[in-house]
Amino acid sequence: MIGTLIGFAQILLLALAAPLVSGATRWMRAKMQTRKGPPILQDYYDIIKLFKREDIHTKESSLIHRIMPALFTTTLLLLAMGIPTLTRGCPLPFMGDFILIIYLLALPRFFFALSAVDSGSSYAGIGGIRELIIGILCEPVMLLALFVTMLATGTTNIGFMGDAIASGAVVNPIAVTLAGIAFACACYIELGKLPYDLAEAEQELQEGPLSEYSGPSLALLKMSLSMKQIIIVSWLIAIFLPFGSAVELTLPALALGLVFYLLKVFAIFFICTIIENVVSRVRYKLLGHQTGVVFGIAAFAFVFFLLGM
Amino acid sequence: MSMTFFLVSAGLFVVGALLALLTGRSEKLSRTLSSIFGAAASLFALIAGGNAIIFCSESLTLATPFAFAPLPLLINPLTGLLLVVINLLALAAWTFGFSYLREYSGREVSVIGFFMSLFIVAMNLLVAVDNVFWFLVFFEIMSLCSYFLVVVKQDEMSVKAGFLYLVMAHIGFLLIMIAFFIMSSAAGSFDFAVFRITDFGPQTASVVFLLTFIGFGIKAGMVPFHTWLPKAHPAAPSQVSALMSGAMIKIGIFGIVKVGLDLLASSGCELWWGLLIVLFGAVSAVFGIIYALTERDIKSLLAYSSIENIGIILLGVGTGFVGVALHLPSLAGLGFLAGLFHLLNHAVFKGLLFMGAGSVIFSTHTRDIEKLGGLIKVMPLTAVCFLCGSLAVAALPPLNGFVSEWFTYQAMFTAAFEGALMVRVVFALAAVALVVTGALALATFVKAFGLSFLGAPRTREAHEAREVPFTMKLAKVVLAAFCVGLGLGAPLVVPYIQSISASFLAGSPDLLQIGRYLFNPELYAVISPPMIALLLISLGAIVASVALLLHRGNVASNRDPWACGYLHETEMPMRPSSFAGQMNTFFKPLFTLRSTITAQSDKFISLFNSSVRGAKKAEDFSDRYVVDSVSSFVKWLALKSKGIEGGNFRVYLLYIVVALLVLLILAITFKGGGPL
Repeated sequence: MIGTLIGFAQILLLALAAPLVSGATRWMRAKMQTRKGPPILQDYYDIIKLFKREDIHTKESSLIHRIMPALFTTTLLLLAMGIPTLTRGCPLPFMGDFILIIYLLALPRFFFALSAVDSGSSYAGIGGIRELIIGILCEPVMLLALFVTMLATGTTNIGFMGDAIASGAVVNPIAVTLAGIAFACACYIELGKLPYDLAEAEQELQEGPLSEYSGPSLALLKMSLSMKQIIIVSWLIAIFLPFGSAVELTLPALALGLVFYLLKVFAIFFICTIIENVVSRVRYKLLGHQTGVVFGIAAFAFVFFLLGM
Repeated sequence: MSMTFFLVSAGLFVVGALLALLTGRSEKLSRTLSSIFGAAASLFALIAGGNAIIFCSESLTLATPFAFAPLPLLINPLTGLLLVVINLLALAAWTFGFSYLREYSGREVSVIGFFMSLFIVAMNLLVAVDNVFWFLVFFEIMSLCSYFLVVVKQDEMSVKAGFLYLVMAHIGFLLIMIAFFIMSSAAGSFDFAVFRITDFGPQTASVVFLLTFIGFGIKAGMVPFHTWLPKAHPAAPSQVSALMSGAMIKIGIFGIVKVGLDLLASSGCELWWGLLIVLFGAVSAVFGIIYALTERDIKSLLAYSSIENIGIILLGVGTGFVGVALHLPSLAGLGFLAGLFHLLNHAVFKGLLFMGAGSVIFSTHTRDIEKLGGLIKVMPLTAVCFLCGSLAVAALPPLNGFVSEWFTYQAMFTAAFEGALMVRVVFALAAVALVVTGALALATFVKAFGLSFLGAPRTREAHEAREVPFTMKLAKVVLAAFCVGLGLGAPLVVPYIQSISASFLAGSPDLLQIGRYLFNPELYAVISPPMIALLLISLGAIVASVALLLHRGNVASNRDPWACGYLHETEMPMRPSSFAGQMNTFFKPLFTLRSTITAQSDKFISLFNSSVRGAKKAEDFSDRYVVDSVSSFVKWLALKSKGIEGGNFRVYLLYIVVALLVLLILAITFKGGGPL
């Protein structure tokens, strides 16, 4: 019961805080580039404004194009119920299996790419395919990294994985650390930031399908993309950086968990912003080489695990 | 009860086949009769299979004209599962075919009805017989009937595909036959019942396993023996493609499980058998889907995807074999649950997808995705059903494909967790292969569904398409409902599938389902498809209503897509080739590998041809001295008997029927006391 409550609380928190996080990263980036930048609350203003605008779809588009934004948001809210944030364990245990999370993340990707095809726009189409390719290149890295972690912790539930790592019950520290690094790299690519993607511009990139959206649909999608970033970061935190989260469900422990969680999220987004500011965009075709290297790290993690290290 | 229903079903199939042929002059009558009899017969066999799964096994021995081979039938839970899979699809196929066969008007509709009936009844009997001789006979009838269905179009492509299929089917048949003869000479009997209690020793058992693994693997379309499949399946009428992809290739899986764990039960199971199956499964899954991705012909795409799914089933089944070899009953239970559940699920969604593709062909007369587009507006129901199938085949939660793939992952993880070094390496590879497969399947079905049904129509045919007749819709809706039902209702289905695998496994596996949750207790894993669906629907309703409430503007859908300031042109949107081009940039080595593998099948054909040439030369030698006189006599006889054989296909069929009838009469006269 309390788990369900926490799950719903996480949904609300995620939906309300998503524009804040994206606004804060934009602000941070502007400061690093010594620009004045938008106010931190700018993304809230944008979303309120977009809800007042016309919702335009292209002539050829069908129902798929219309339902995609809501479906995207819904799936991410659903994911938010299962990922531990303040607590060590999953609020809803049946939502905490990592295979389920990988495949639930694929559900909006499927409709995202479909709506790109549906809009009839060539730029959106290319963006949709690239989104699919990112999935093809990233998912194996994620799976292999979590496979090694699964072998080390004896479970596929991300709450239990985090618990085993935090309590020091893992006997293969090097393997798990390497797996964590590989997983973090894969997560970074999934976040859609430079050098792999530029969320604000260029329609042929991952977010190309957005170019045919407007009004409330675009508002939902903007929120969803920010929510996806938070979810992926929380996923990484829950498994590999669970330190400080609430093991018992008491109020002080939860409060401490919240503080630690916010600190960790802030730290990760800060690091991401630094990376974004020091790199330029990589040629898209080279993405395969880089995920290859990351896959190599995950493979090394597996080798180290087999060696018992 | 199972047996009675089964025999009635077999009888109805034969009657239906004969009626289809006899009423060949009136296309409509033939189509109607064969569909009605076929559907009724499938329903009976479906009940027989379901009954065997839920209640108990039954066996019965029928007398036959051949004294050395009575016909023992055994309907156990595994047979029951196969009967359910075959006949559920068959039921949908008959319903679908009733209207779809109009597409084949003027091209031997009665022949399709005849061979389809025989094809299904041969598969049904094949899974139920308990004797080497009859197993091989029905296996051959199945292959031949499906061959005729492949070449029914009589164009160059289908004839070529049919020949490749025939050759590959017979290589498989030969290997299986050798394996069975090794077993029967060691056991001294043709009865499977004797095989079960014979210890063949590890060497013989391994040889038998290897032979049957490759033999049945060819039938299952496993890489690298798959080349016939993507050519043969699309050539047949769509409902037959559904049957071949959904049901017939499962006979291969059935054969591997039956030989490995049932017939070799007393000989023990080696660890490397399981690892071999897993490796072949991983390779089949990845290569199957990567070739599907670049395919432009919608039915070839689906056929390649069948190879992928056979790979996934093999991953589950192979893990089960590893569990048996390592004496881990819970692992074995998990692996076979995953494999058998995916076997059922794949039959349902691939049947649905082939019938969806059939509907597209019915209304546009083309299989080329390039020439489709925008069909969702004119064929909304077909589009929704095809989308449902696509979601299931891409293993997206909470539909059925996801549930069985989740169990496959769990089984492989458990094996890696429990196993030693070698096992861990194999399963790490297999798990990565499966996730790559999943991601590629996503892209493949974005292409298959998106480019056929969404966007703007690309040709006049796609523009003028109409929704298909009622029975074709009905078949798809039923199968789509099964996709959803087997996914959301997985907690209800899993115990039955578990009882099937428990029927041929030693030891008691873990409980994998409690209430609405599915478990893998070995790894503390739990999911709940119905809860996921419930939450998705309720959260979706909340999101949609909040968005509607907040929205203050209008909704418009009259704009051209944005083209960076240029005027939008009809040539601009995505095409299948844009998919292929992008994928080629990233996965080029895999495509070059395909041409190497495909070349192997041509080698098989040329091997066959050269052996025929060789035989001809050898034949010549004796011919010149011995046979010449006889052959000239035969030539004379043939000339005289030209009157009887008109060269008409139908007349030949009539001969077969007459021969069957005579045999039947003989059987009844001489063995009058039989249960018939």
